[in-house]
Amino acid sequence: MRLMAMACCALGVAAAWTARADQLVDIRHKGELTCGVLATDEPMSFVDPQTRTIVGYEVDLCRAVARKIGVTATVKQIAVGARIPELQQGHVDLLAATLTHTRQREAVIDFSLTTFVTGQKVMVRRDSGITNLPQLAGKKVVTVKGGTQEANLRKVVPSVDVVTFETAPQALVALQQHKAAAFINDEVSLFDAYAKMGPAQKDFVILAQNVSTEPIAMGLRKNEPAMKVAVDAALRELEASAEAQKWFFKWFGPGTRLQYPTRNFKIESDRVPD
Amino acid sequence: MGEFDFSVVTTGEFRTWLVSGFLLSLQLLAASWLLAVPMATVVALCRLSSVGVLRGFGAVFVEGIRNVPLLVHMLFWYFAMPELLPEPARNWLYEHNAEVVCAVIALALYSGSYMAEDIRSGIRSVSATQIEAARALGFGFLAAMRRVVLPQAFRIVVPPLISQTLNLWKNTSIATVIGTAELMYQTQKVETNSFRGVESFGVATLAYLTVSLVITAVAVGFQRRFPVRAI
Repeated sequence: MRLMAMACCALGVAAAWTARADQLVDIRHKGELTCGVLATDEPMSFVDPQTRTIVGYEVDLCRAVARKIGVTATVKQIAVGARIPELQQGHVDLLAATLTHTRQREAVIDFSLTTFVTGQKVMVRRDSGITNLPQLAGKKVVTVKGGTQEANLRKVVPSVDVVTFETAPQALVALQQHKAAAFINDEVSLFDAYAKMGPAQKDFVILAQNVSTEPIAMGLRKNEPAMKVAVDAALRELEASAEAQKWFFKWFGPGTRLQYPTRNFKIESDRVPD
Repeated sequence: MGEFDFSVVTTGEFRTWLVSGFLLSLQLLAASWLLAVPMATVVALCRLSSVGVLRGFGAVFVEGIRNVPLLVHMLFWYFAMPELLPEPARNWLYEHNAEVVCAVIALALYSGSYMAEDIRSGIRSVSATQIEAARALGFGFLAAMRRVVLPQAFRIVVPPLISQTLNLWKNTSIATVIGTAELMYQTQKVETNSFRGVESFGVATLAYLTVSLVITAVAVGFQRRFPVRAI
């Protein structure tokens, strides 16, 4: 009987939870959108050493979304492992925390349109004439042991001959010494290595095509359709007005440490591959 | 994930990887051994020669190679040596499985320098009167070595050579650092893809141990069959 009572009680709480007012109405009412960010992941969100405030690509996006909704944004630092609980428990209204949009997570939270796409990429020597991934068929490609690079590349180019080394710099040296046609690694590491090459850069090209993709999106509480519509609409406007593009180049483009030469995605979809 | 499941790594693709690694390890052993033994014999003869230049060459060869860790040899012969080659030779190497060729060079030199010392000891353990008698009968130095001293010396050096072979077998695993797809390399690859570290390395351990025990058994058998004769 006590069990029954507890169950009823739990049901009651659950009902109260779902019957709460619309999240978007709440946000407009308090005039504030609280974004959960990592603040430890340059340049997505990090603490600016000069101003000691949290800045970054996702912070700019969050402020822009708040502006479109008609409220001000506050930024709250959260831990990687606490991202989804913080959102579910209402401590933050929205996650802008380098959150990869996966099918598994769709069961517990909703996602906005994809706001950033990262993944693994391939660097080739310019004189190899390789311009796309299928051309790597039967070629020797180097990378580091222990990661997902080899498996991901094989999914795209099954006949590739992969040779792995203990460290990424060793693999890069092997590429530079003409021991392989290409070097595959995580995008950020690859651009970092490319940036450090200096004048030797002219002999190498990073292929635009991703080997694997990690769609990053804003995390939203489940079953808040009005909120999702508002956030997605705000993001679409940012894309249409080229504001989103401006922020991408501000944080990732030439002149930054990462020096992404181009932007290979648009904020337009909330679909992810299986 | 709590239980060990060896069938994961002994079936399908993972099994193929492990088997190919095992076969390549055996090939590394065979190729390096076949290069190392004649090389070691030549170096040992150099060290025993009456010509000073040859003695000097033998000493530099042995001490220069034996006193550098095998890991350094591997990285040197793969990352540094090819860069010193003329371009056609380098291109040829890179088109012909440089990872295996460089591993064999490193392993053969490293084992060869140890084997040279074993062979030299074996030759020295053959009584000097043997070569004196051979020379008195009209044999030249090389002929005396080939027909009289070396046949006796090899019988003495077989046990230490088998011991070096055992070391060579285990040392083939170092080739993983230059991307040679031998057993250790494939084991790490299986572990990365299956998340089954204990099973992967368990299978590799068993494979290394099996071949090592076979080599040891050969050594024991040889010593039973051909005990060293008192001279």
